[in-house]
Amino acid sequence: MNTTTHPAPASVPEERKRFKMPQEGSILLVLVGIAVLFEILGWAVRGDTFLFNAQRLLIIVLQMSIIGLLAIGVTQVIITTGIDLSSGSVLALSAMIAASFAQTSDYARAVFPMFTDMPAVVPILLGVLAGGLAGLVNGALIARTMIPPFIATLGMMVTARGLARWYTDGQPVSLLSDEFTWFGSGYIPVVVFIVVAAIFHIALKYTRYGKFTYAIGANMNAARVSGINVNRHLVIVYSIAGLLSGLAGVLTAARAASGQAGMGMAYELDAIAAAVIGGTSLAGGVGRITGTVIGVIILGVMTSGFTFLGIDAYVQDVVKGAIIVAAVVADQYRQKKRKTA
Amino acid sequence: MKRLLLGIAASMAISMSAYAETKIAVSMSYFDDNFLTMLRQSMAKSAAEKPDVSIQFEDAQGDIGRQLNQVQNFVAQDVDAIIINATDTAATARMTKLAKKAGIPLVYVNKKPDQELPAGVVYVGSDEVVAGRLQGEQLAKSLNGKGNVAIMLGELSSSGTRGRTQGVKEVLANYPDIKIVEEQTANFQRSEAIDLMNNWIVSGIKIDAIAANNDEMALGALLAMRQAGISPKDIVVGGVDATSDALSSMAAKELAVTVFQNAAAQGEGAVTAALSLAKGEQVDGTVWVPFELVMLENMHQYQ
Repeated sequence: MNTTTHPAPASVPEERKRFKMPQEGSILLVLVGIAVLFEILGWAVRGDTFLFNAQRLLIIVLQMSIIGLLAIGVTQVIITTGIDLSSGSVLALSAMIAASFAQTSDYARAVFPMFTDMPAVVPILLGVLAGGLAGLVNGALIARTMIPPFIATLGMMVTARGLARWYTDGQPVSLLSDEFTWFGSGYIPVVVFIVVAAIFHIALKYTRYGKFTYAIGANMNAARVSGINVNRHLVIVYSIAGLLSGLAGVLTAARAASGQAGMGMAYELDAIAAAVIGGTSLAGGVGRITGTVIGVIILGVMTSGFTFLGIDAYVQDVVKGAIIVAAVVADQYRQKKRKTA
Repeated sequence: MKRLLLGIAASMAISMSAYAETKIAVSMSYFDDNFLTMLRQSMAKSAAEKPDVSIQFEDAQGDIGRQLNQVQNFVAQDVDAIIINATDTAATARMTKLAKKAGIPLVYVNKKPDQELPAGVVYVGSDEVVAGRLQGEQLAKSLNGKGNVAIMLGELSSSGTRGRTQGVKEVLANYPDIKIVEEQTANFQRSEAIDLMNNWIVSGIKIDAIAANNDEMALGALLAMRQAGISPKDIVVGGVDATSDALSSMAAKELAVTVFQNAAAQGEGAVTAALSLAKGEQVDGTVWVPFELVMLENMHQYQ
């Protein structure tokens, strides 16, 4: 591949010339539509604004920044025609491991009494690396044994959750150092999310890493024939997804000031939903980080909007599921219309 | 040689079962729930303290189908008694029937089946409604009978959520100046409670007290309040379970009230009831283990 001499993405050279709404345009409209709906309902029900509250806008992103990290990982995996079902469980495992090395010596029943009062960098690194290791195993299994990603990561989903429980026999790991919990306080998770999103947006769009990822997703055999080391690249993509799950686990533990084996339950599904809402195709080859970020924000807007309107807790998931499907349908419809026009 | 080894193994297996120990099999709804872990450990401990009793645990992972399979396996193994911590209190009838038909003593622990239990089947646990009443009563006192209360619901299909919420509402209905202004779920999870509390704070609704269905959510609410600079004096927070994290928070004068559900007594009661039934003794249909109110003044008893 001599693409290194070509800085611009080779896939859409023709379309670049005439102005075209970016791919994310339509899903952005869906987001605006949902937000406006909540704004109107907000005035009707609460007599107050939903959108024009800077603090709420921050909270919308804050509450989704953990799932956002998982979504950025799974977006890249889905682009390679894969899937990652293990992210929620790996999050829990990383949270447990990070928390166990972040305990203060005040705690009489620390998991590792000899490893208390460690500098925060130790638990953070160990948590992230544990996630990376899980991702590495996922990638190696998929690349070497050729088992479907669905099965490999399903196995990891069960195993990692099991490890998280086994680690302390289900006991929560608490009393964590202030230095460590600072990492999850205030809006730091938002900053981490934005930085990570920016890094992978650039990586996918402008680097060889991104080109290989899309090439594998578009046609794995063609990618192999054109000289891409597909196996190695898949291992890298799954490892990155694992590292991001690990980072999400560290943030979750720091935020809750506790590591618990039940953390991140079913988060992988929200992450996949965010990616798909954002225009990532489960058929592979298509997807962008900007779209996923919008997908994540749509989920956050729904959570905050439901609470703001005081919608019956028993009804919320029913509406949420319907909105997720409707958002993707609306997006597909708009894209189709634009293509035929 | 191979045959000899097999023979030894077989005779060992026979002699072990001939040793006539009482086998108890337990199906837990979750292994990773903090309270249920204490319950499980207490059952393991009280079984270990008794001579010739063996106990085995299975994790139903919140799945009623999985739990039913486990009970079927227990029946096939012909254990001496079964203890079930039901995943769904509305779906216990088939498990009860299975054990009854095989003539194996059955004890439900912690989660009370909705069905009328037949003779010889025992429930050991605490009344969730009482927990809600104790919590609600104390919060109402802290508010001097006046103010806005928000309820943090647990996992929506759990009987704990229903019972505790019902108890809180029953009590607060007696106070005309107390209004329940919010009622949303945080799934018993601390991190979800942080997000829910953030959303409540930013919505600008005046809240004077939080009645959380468990301690984890109460602690999440307190974490969100601390970051927003709201003092635990301005919003009184109550939980249920008296976990060790909750007691630390109470010692720091953050959590105002919690309710102790005696995991140790429930676990011990379940094992005792199972063993009595296995011996053919009579046991009351319901063994209540009382909830206990925990506040700063009496918390040292629970640490």
